[in-house]
Amino acid sequence: MVVAFAALTIGFWYLQIVQGDRFAEMAENNHQRTLALRAPRGVLFDRNGKVMVESRNSYTISIVREHTKDLDRTMRLLAAVAGLNVEDVRQVVARHRSEPTYRPIVIVEDASLAQVAAITARRLDFELPDVVVEEVPTRQYPTDGLAAHLFGYVGEASDTQIGNGIAKGAIVGQSGIERVYNNLLQGQDGARRVVVNSMGREIRTLDESPPVEGRRVQLTIDYDLQKAAEDGFRHAGFNGAALIMDPRNGEVLTYVSLPAYDPNDFAAGIDRATWASLNSDALRPLQNRAIQGRYSPGSTFKIVVATAGLEEGIIDDDFRVNCGGGANFYGRFYRCHLAGGHGLMDVRHAMEKSCNVFFYTVGNMLGVDKIHKWAEKLGLTGKTGIDLPNEQESLVPSTEWKMRRFGEKWYAGETISVAIGQGQVSVTPASLALMMATVANGGTKVTPHLVRAVDEGSGWKMATPPAVANAVVFKPSTLAALHDGLWMVVNAAGTAGRARVPGRDVAGKTGTAQVISNEGRARARGTTRDLRDHGFFVFFAPKDNPELAGVIFGEHNEHGYLGGPIARHIIETYYAKKDGRPLPVLAPKPAPAPAPRETVPDPDSPPVLEDAAPVAAASLPAAGSRQPAELGTR
Amino acid sequence: MFERRLYHHIDWGLITAVAALCGLGLANIYSATGGWTGIVQTQISGIVLGTIALIVCLSLDYRSLADKSHFIYIAIVALLIYVLFFGAVRGGSRRWIDLGPVNLQPSEFAKAALALVLAKFFGESRRWSVTRVDLLIAGALTAVPVLIIARQPDLGTAVTLIPVALAIAYVAGMPMRLLGTLAVVGVLAAPVAWKFALQDYQKERVETFLNPEQDARGAGYQQIQARITVGSGGLWGKGFNEGTQGQLRFLPVAHNDFIFSVLAEEHGFAGVLVALGLYLFVILRALEAARLAKDRLGAYLVLGVLATFTFQVIYNITMSAGLAPVKGLTLPLMSYGGSSMIATLAGFGLILNVRMRRFTN
Repeated sequence: MVVAFAALTIGFWYLQIVQGDRFAEMAENNHQRTLALRAPRGVLFDRNGKVMVESRNSYTISIVREHTKDLDRTMRLLAAVAGLNVEDVRQVVARHRSEPTYRPIVIVEDASLAQVAAITARRLDFELPDVVVEEVPTRQYPTDGLAAHLFGYVGEASDTQIGNGIAKGAIVGQSGIERVYNNLLQGQDGARRVVVNSMGREIRTLDESPPVEGRRVQLTIDYDLQKAAEDGFRHAGFNGAALIMDPRNGEVLTYVSLPAYDPNDFAAGIDRATWASLNSDALRPLQNRAIQGRYSPGSTFKIVVATAGLEEGIIDDDFRVNCGGGANFYGRFYRCHLAGGHGLMDVRHAMEKSCNVFFYTVGNMLGVDKIHKWAEKLGLTGKTGIDLPNEQESLVPSTEWKMRRFGEKWYAGETISVAIGQGQVSVTPASLALMMATVANGGTKVTPHLVRAVDEGSGWKMATPPAVANAVVFKPSTLAALHDGLWMVVNAAGTAGRARVPGRDVAGKTGTAQVISNEGRARARGTTRDLRDHGFFVFFAPKDNPELAGVIFGEHNEHGYLGGPIARHIIETYYAKKDGRPLPVLAPKPAPAPAPRETVPDPDSPPVLEDAAPVAAASLPAAGSRQPAELGTR
Repeated sequence: MFERRLYHHIDWGLITAVAALCGLGLANIYSATGGWTGIVQTQISGIVLGTIALIVCLSLDYRSLADKSHFIYIAIVALLIYVLFFGAVRGGSRRWIDLGPVNLQPSEFAKAALALVLAKFFGESRRWSVTRVDLLIAGALTAVPVLIIARQPDLGTAVTLIPVALAIAYVAGMPMRLLGTLAVVGVLAAPVAWKFALQDYQKERVETFLNPEQDARGAGYQQIQARITVGSGGLWGKGFNEGTQGQLRFLPVAHNDFIFSVLAEEHGFAGVLVALGLYLFVILRALEAARLAKDRLGAYLVLGVLATFTFQVIYNITMSAGLAPVKGLTLPLMSYGGSSMIATLAGFGLILNVRMRRFTN
């Protein structure tokens, strides 16, 4: 008897004293749960303090399997009550099978109020005890898809993103600003320790470390200019891209890529159907055209050739070329777009009229390497360095490049097409904006950037602007010639009269990017692909001491000058805002005028060549290019 | 019948210890069920009724009770048979007689009845040794209620009757050799019983005991949770009403079979020592009553009652620490259960009775 009691005493001593700590921990794990409290992401403001992206609260519906007796029944019931496809529910659950059973598996993100009400009613009847409804902060973007490619979107962290403070199931930026500045915006998730009973019901909260909201970030973007640009595109009726910055410091005021997606679709977890349709859309709304689309710059490239010629001292203000409608180079006849010829052209008038013969000649005198050198100084090669992910490199060929890429020497004849922005020149709209900023500010290659200030918790702190990539000081005569010529394009007899804003001295240049060569066009007849040319309009304003510089890229809009009205609307908005006047409103789209193509020849139209181009379409840099078919192949 | 001087021979120490254990049980039931619940109230009425039963059993001379033991025995067996056919079903077994607000569990009373009838049978025997015929009769007297209760099925309670018979037969002079033989037969019969007699759920319980982790969510759950409950108590416990395992229902039927686990969790090793000490005191004190008994009848009666009590106490406490297979065995005096409380207190009434009347003729 006494022995039995002694044995019991020893047994309890062993359990309670020797192993007490271990069991105490197990008891704690039994009844304490740590629930993550998702931190709201930091609010994004525009440069004037207007809220652009914020967080709202949404409801998620999750399954907690911990005490589920019949998971399949729960899934079927939940699907029926919430109006879901039971197969989808099963797939979601299967994906999270290996996680601890007390961690909720989110089935419905951003549930509708009807769903929440239906679930809550059932839960009270104990029909769905394993289903929980939680309130979580969710990103709220502008409803019209404004600046979607700039903001990017958020999503559940992928396996490769986990680690470094990012836990499984965390919501992180997957694109755009959201991705680049994820560390700032993410905030710090909080945690709540709760006591649960054996049924998994929360009994009470033990302690709570509240989530820390992400940093507030002020962008360089101006909401009104952004809106003006997107309105401009909608009004004009084509897709494309626009990037407008302050040439003095590289602050990006407007960043457009169209068509866009609705980032709100991603904010609460994108459903498969929406994702599939975004991916299969022929217009490719997920492509961030301003930094990922590469196109032949067409006539806008003439600015590089003019700069190179003037800075290298190969030409001066008095240098003239006689345009007779075309010229011979290396045994081939290269045409100008004006069949009768422009007559005697100096650099200013050659830019105004976009005279091909002048630039063929200057390009030929420079050689491809000097063109490449000045393209690089203007920002047309490589990446602009903008703080957005997955920027593509712009390409302007050189002899070194061709040797490296193809193992062949450069033929002087190839330079002729390069001189008018064709051949292997392939650049992003962003790099053209940077080129205009450099031309506008007199040679300083600023780095375009999007963040103006960050609130680290103690008030706004101005962000340090990125270092200037490269600075040359153009000769005053170069600057004068460039600015005059580009001013004349808009304000004299040039191609971009539509961008004119009285009193504001807008300077610019149009360009057309061929989607397919003339021969290719003949071959491709009958396909459904859109083969119409793209149009560029690059500009800065005002001519002296410019405050704006940028690019309007119109996808398949056929004429660069069609970007003019968009630029004009942005510039007018800029000045209206600056002067405190009411912002301009675009008039309703006028009735379609007779097609301008029939009556007025487009001076940017690609020159018609006698002969086949020396560079065939097949030799284009296909490997580095995302869409070789859209490169200008002349 | 109740002489005044008998009053002075009442073992107040034993009564105090028993009352302390009842109080301890009540406090832990209160904590485990989350306050002033119907369960606590039922337990209190169980204690009140049990006290009345104790007084009744104390007042009547145990010898006159023993004289009527065959009627008591027959009445209990009749009740058990009645229960087998008309009893209220709960949790898959028929154990209760539904008396409206009260449910009576006759099997609890079978223990005292068996102790009475066996004490009478062996105690009145003139010889100092027991014959095989005696043992066979005693075996039959035991087997009848055991088998009926096992059919309910309530194997736990059925098994508690066996110590009654073994203890009384042993002190009555059953040869050790026979006890050894019974043990050997038991060991040999175990595989046969395993194969034919045990229900699947019973086999599962044994298997689970041997390896609880193999089925941590199912049958092994209680055992693991019992160990966690006890172990997490530490030296001083989590404090009254502060236990998490019992209160949050991680440990099932905490107020019933696992009341000792609740005590261990909330009052720690210190509380366990106090409770174990009280039980040991009660048992040793009762043994003394057997030693002091004036006649063999009295001694046998005390030992019979005490055997089943001790067996249940030791088994339940071992189980509540997760050290024995989970069996539906309550902890006498502490576990929730009206019938059990009444029957146990009635049993102590008999023990006190024997001690009190040690000088009477």
